Amino acid sequence: MDLNWKSAIDSIPILNKAAVLTLELTAVAVAIGVVIGLLMALARLSKSKVVRAAAIGYIDFFRGTPLLVQIFLVYFLAPKIFHWDTLPNNYQYFAGVLAMGLNSGAYIAEIFRAGIQSIDRGQSEAARSLGMAHSQSMRYVILPQAFKRVIPPLGNEFIALLKDSSLLSIIAIQELFYSGKIIVGRTFQPIPMYITVALYYLVMTQLISQWVSYMERRLGKNDIR
Amino acid sequence: MISVKNLHKSFGKLEVLKGIDCQVQESEVVVVIGPSGSGKSTFLRCLNKLEEPTSGEIIVDGIPLDSEINVNAIRREVGMVFQRFNLFPHMTAIQNVVLAPQIVRKTNKAEARKIGLELLEKVGLSDKADEYPDRLSGGQQQRVAIARALAMKPKIMLFDETTSALDPEMVGEVLAVMKDLAREGMTMVVVTHEMGFAREVGDRVIFMDEGIIMEEGEPNEMFAHPQNPRTQAFLSKIL
Repeated sequence: MDLNWKSAIDSIPILNKAAVLTLELTAVAVAIGVVIGLLMALARLSKSKVVRAAAIGYIDFFRGTPLLVQIFLVYFLAPKIFHWDTLPNNYQYFAGVLAMGLNSGAYIAEIFRAGIQSIDRGQSEAARSLGMAHSQSMRYVILPQAFKRVIPPLGNEFIALLKDSSLLSIIAIQELFYSGKIIVGRTFQPIPMYITVALYYLVMTQLISQWVSYMERRLGKNDIR
Repeated sequence: MISVKNLHKSFGKLEVLKGIDCQVQESEVVVVIGPSGSGKSTFLRCLNKLEEPTSGEIIVDGIPLDSEINVNAIRREVGMVFQRFNLFPHMTAIQNVVLAPQIVRKTNKAEARKIGLELLEKVGLSDKADEYPDRLSGGQQQRVAIARALAMKPKIMLFDETTSALDPEMVGEVLAVMKDLAREGMTMVVVTHEMGFAREVGDRVIFMDEGIIMEEGEPNEMFAHPQNPRTQAFLSKIL
């Protein structure tokens, strides 16, 4: 096998830039996902049947359909919803991050729900018996404890989303995979390039995974259970 | 202070409380005893609506427990201490104590901390104020839990088997705090297996079995001469 690694090595500055973009896109998407996820988790645990049903509908839709399809849906639907006749500059980034955020929101909702439900019932009973309203008990007692417990699954979600961000290449976002593909189109050296791209993803996921276990150790210090 | 009329509570098909009538006067210490499964904890938990009664009427401090607003109002006036402490593990002892006064009573931070430290001192734990619960023994945790309940300046305190989860050598320190409270005139309803405490501190003992009040009376009198055969059987097993 005659592999020419020169093209891949020459592309490192471009790939570095693309890797940073990939991380940024994923981070913003997860941030959106955490907000949506928290709201959906609380809605999922609401006393109101309607609110609960809405949350379940959301979660089922975004977990039950492919992210690739969701990216296209958002990409084509968003301008209609926001009544944009002309698309803003770099519209694909907006659509891509939004689609990933909506998608991860559904997964993160289930992560938060499990986290909230894992907190001993005695905690909310103690809070309520002190006269706290349900919302106060959530905010000061349940959620701070639940957050600690969901850090490992949230880290996994971050890693999954980082890998899935390669799907954004389909709407011409210049993230890692897209950049690699463009370069291959010029150099006709797919194997060195895709090995390099794979290594980039691997390094990033490993680093995140290390960071998550560090956070877990640091925050877990005062958790008795 | 507390008035309970014809209180019923069922969990599904299982009827746990079958018509409880009970009055508690101000400054009275009522001790509820009975075998496990007799409904005494459920009865106590109905008094601040941690359990939703199936039927019946509960009036606490003149307020009927019939709406969400009233329930929250009552819970501010009724402190509760649990068998398993239920301290907030992500907060230090003092943070546990000051949380509710700050966010429910809107007491300012400095004032809440001052009250909190006084209460920790009262339960003998002023040196543990900045420790997290997992660094405290069971007895210490339970005393923090009592201080936490007292920080809301409740008019009534409910104790749900507060010494049952403790190692024997720690039971005394918790009971001592409860005795102090009783001496200060706190209205208390105490579910316990500590008969010594019932005899020494209780103004009245209620014996519950199978979801009803079988017998009640002055502690020494009742322990010496129980009338109901069920009470006799129960007391003969534990005294």
